[in-house]
Amino acid sequence: MDIKISDHNQVVIMDIDGEIVRNPDIKDATLHQLVKSQLERGKRDIVLNFSKVEFIDSFGVGEILASHISIHNLGGKLKLCRISKKLFLIFQVTMLNRVLEIFDDCESALKSFEKA
Amino acid sequence: MDDGRLYRFLRAFRIDVRPEEARAALSLFSYFFLITFAFWVIKTVKESYQIGVNERLWWGFELGTAVLIGFVVAINTRLLNRLPRRKYSSLTLAFFAACLVFFWFVFEQLLPRPTFPIPPVMVFAQQHANVFVFMFSFWSDIFIAMSITQFWIAVNDVLYPHQAKRLVGFLVTGGLLGGIGGSLFARVLSTLAAPHTLLLACPAVLLLTILVVNIVHAERERTRGRTEAEYHRAGRGIGYLEGLRTVRRHRYLRILAGILASAVIVGQLINFQFKFVIAAQGWSLGRRTSVLGTFFFAILLLSLVFHLATTGKVLKLFKIPLALLIAPVFLLLGIVPVFFLSVVVATAGPTLAGRYWAMSLRGADKMFDNTISQSVRELLYIPIPAQVKYRAKVFVDMFVNKLALGLGALLYWAVYSLFSFGLRDADFKVRVLGILAFLFALVWIILIWIIHGDYHEALKKDIPIIWPDAQKEMESRININWTRRYVDLIQSRQQSLALYAQNLFKIVTKEKLTADQKEAIALLAGELKARSMDSLLDVGGETFFPGIEEAITDKDIEATIHEVLALPEYRQLMDKMLGDIAGQKTASEVARMEAANLMGLMEPTPNVIHNLGRMLQDPSPDVLNYALYSAAAHRNKEHIPLIIALLGNPMIRQDAQDALTAYGPRIEDALRKRLRDRNERLEVRTAVPEVLARFGDQKAADILMLELAREEEGLEHELIDGLYKIRSNQASVHFNERTVRTAVLSLIRKNCEAYLAAEDSGPGGEPGAVGPARKAAIDLRTKRIFDLLALIFPFDDIVKAYQNVNQGTRKSLDHTLALLDNILDRELKTFLFPLIEDLEPAERVRRLRKFARSLKAQGA
Repeated sequence: MDIKISDHNQVVIMDIDGEIVRNPDIKDATLHQLVKSQLERGKRDIVLNFSKVEFIDSFGVGEILASHISIHNLGGKLKLCRISKKLFLIFQVTMLNRVLEIFDDCESALKSFEKA
Repeated sequence: MDDGRLYRFLRAFRIDVRPEEARAALSLFSYFFLITFAFWVIKTVKESYQIGVNERLWWGFELGTAVLIGFVVAINTRLLNRLPRRKYSSLTLAFFAACLVFFWFVFEQLLPRPTFPIPPVMVFAQQHANVFVFMFSFWSDIFIAMSITQFWIAVNDVLYPHQAKRLVGFLVTGGLLGGIGGSLFARVLSTLAAPHTLLLACPAVLLLTILVVNIVHAERERTRGRTEAEYHRAGRGIGYLEGLRTVRRHRYLRILAGILASAVIVGQLINFQFKFVIAAQGWSLGRRTSVLGTFFFAILLLSLVFHLATTGKVLKLFKIPLALLIAPVFLLLGIVPVFFLSVVVATAGPTLAGRYWAMSLRGADKMFDNTISQSVRELLYIPIPAQVKYRAKVFVDMFVNKLALGLGALLYWAVYSLFSFGLRDADFKVRVLGILAFLFALVWIILIWIIHGDYHEALKKDIPIIWPDAQKEMESRININWTRRYVDLIQSRQQSLALYAQNLFKIVTKEKLTADQKEAIALLAGELKARSMDSLLDVGGETFFPGIEEAITDKDIEATIHEVLALPEYRQLMDKMLGDIAGQKTASEVARMEAANLMGLMEPTPNVIHNLGRMLQDPSPDVLNYALYSAAAHRNKEHIPLIIALLGNPMIRQDAQDALTAYGPRIEDALRKRLRDRNERLEVRTAVPEVLARFGDQKAADILMLELAREEEGLEHELIDGLYKIRSNQASVHFNERTVRTAVLSLIRKNCEAYLAAEDSGPGGEPGAVGPARKAAIDLRTKRIFDLLALIFPFDDIVKAYQNVNQGTRKSLDHTLALLDNILDRELKTFLFPLIEDLEPAERVRRLRKFARSLKAQGA
């Protein structure tokens, strides 16, 4: 899994490439660790771009939820964009879409921060 | 003078003011100065005339005012309803100015040679001197009550609660200086001219006040953004009955009214004592006026010194309602000496001790009233919603105040008649009044104690929860464990039938499925059958038989599977096979996953436990995931150290935490040992607090507190998170206050140092402005400070406070500061407030420098 981080005004965009699964070969920081490092930078609003994520396992779900909690407890917001149909189905079935804000495209996700 | 200059001017006098408040603060200061200047001139003249009247009639002044005030209140409220506030204040002041000229003229006619003699008027005035004294007394009470009420309404309109608390000291200083000026003016002029001549100066003062009132109201519109019309609407409907209903409906206001009434009655009884003592001195009108002028001047000067030296400190150090206790307690003690000394000796006349005691007690009463008591009583109004406040304030300040005076007057008349005061000496009269004053002071104290709790609740109403607790909200909407199991289930479909079937079996048989969850399972079945969304849910290389999801829910199938698992032959066979897989490094990952998963379904025989222990050391995170799931099912103590070791693996940490949670609180000792072990990997130690937090019992809290007390930086964040989680779920758990305070002060010190760091000036070189990196670190530490405070102070209040400090409106932030002021003790307030108040960076640095050294000295 590879994560590219960019800033868009006060919002951080994380472009995730690969699967968010348990991987013994992973050397880099996990998703939650990267989110926490952004919180330590003073960032509070983060968008996760799932356009290149094919699958997540329970570890991946745990990482997303842990990130959501960490951001939310500091008064920030986590939003997801460009989720595949497969993943969205999983999120719907598990009702994660009730907890996480999911957008069709990342521009809408960014705009939603401005409206708030 | 522009706002910047005004601000710098005020700051030169160390006034705690913000730049945008300077004009409002100065105009309110001036308003109060002018009002009290006139007030004390009039009061000096009034009291001198009253003492000159027969003591039998003294009660009449107060009772008459109390009775007639109702009509005045009715007219007052009608005018408030009809006229804009600015116009109303200006008109009333102009009216009072005209009245002062009238009274000067009347009292002039009482002289043997008046300036403008009108013989019929002279005769009438001299025949009805007491009536005019009564009229003047009544009028001056109305003037005093209305003017002060209008001033404090203006303060309420312009300032927020915490703003008011910061600035009230400054405003009261204005009042005291005005009083000093007025009483000194009275004292000096009364030696040169007849007392009533003093009245001629006041119209000029009142006309100047009209000008200042208009500036105040213009400032109100500028700072609060509310127009005259909006305030007029807020005040609409303020009738006497409406005010009475409002007070009756609100317990808080009833108690406030009771406090005011008790204070007024005690003050009045002390005043009657004072009058007896002064009357016993046998002075002429002119000498008496001069002495009173000197007396009031001295009181006000002492009040100013007292106020400058202590009021601000008292307001900072004491919670607001408790600061009100100072006056009644002091007066209670001050009343006692009267039972041991004489104010008058039959053969020798009035005693010096008596005179000084009476002056001291009355002086103390007025001094407290001018400083702390008045300030705090006004601050008690501020948390009340505007609509309620305006209705109640007019009623309480005018009617309740005068009613209390009337009651005091009736009490005086009652004791005068009952104990035949006309035949008694001054000692007796003063002592009887002393007993009454003592009793009412006790009532006063009890009511203050009661309002202390209610004030807190009143403040909280304007402090909203801005965002709910994320964990709790998530848990209320979804079952996190189910979600993760379901995702594993879907993944296992791509891996193997056996794994998929095992997961399906576990979910269906072990968990009570909700309708939504059953539907989720059925969806898988439907998709498999229909194959209509073949790209959505890919099937792996094996052939799945249609209907597996329905079949697995069949109770017969479930029973059969359990029977098979229990067969001795099955166990014997599987022991060998699982042992081979667990020990065999060449077994495929999928095979190992299946084996690990199966062990969770089997009986926990020694072989199963042993093999599972080997699987808990597997290199594959996916295998470990299933091994942990199975270990959680068996909860065997042999596996505990292995699972704890897995906390250090970020891929598996959450699963390891879940498995340890399944063991329950019996593993707390094992967790404690690993947490305390400084040789243990930090990744393991930082994952332990979350497990302890999930247990959430007293022992878990104690373990975390002990570790927090060791002050290891790398663990601090997780320890505080864990403690906060326990506190949010368990109100009954107790946390060591000393440890928490030490940790809080340590974090405060770090934030303090961050601000003071010399190299951290902002882009423009502004002292005290921090860069983004430091600001981020400060913000995170602030969150931890509040998380810790929530352990030892009311949880909901602290949570709200943090959220409003972080993202609140100006108003809610102000209420938050007032709430924290009421909750936290002096030490914490002193150190925390400069970090969270809305200060200019340079001002923040100045304050932080002041206490940085004392923080270090405390060992924080």
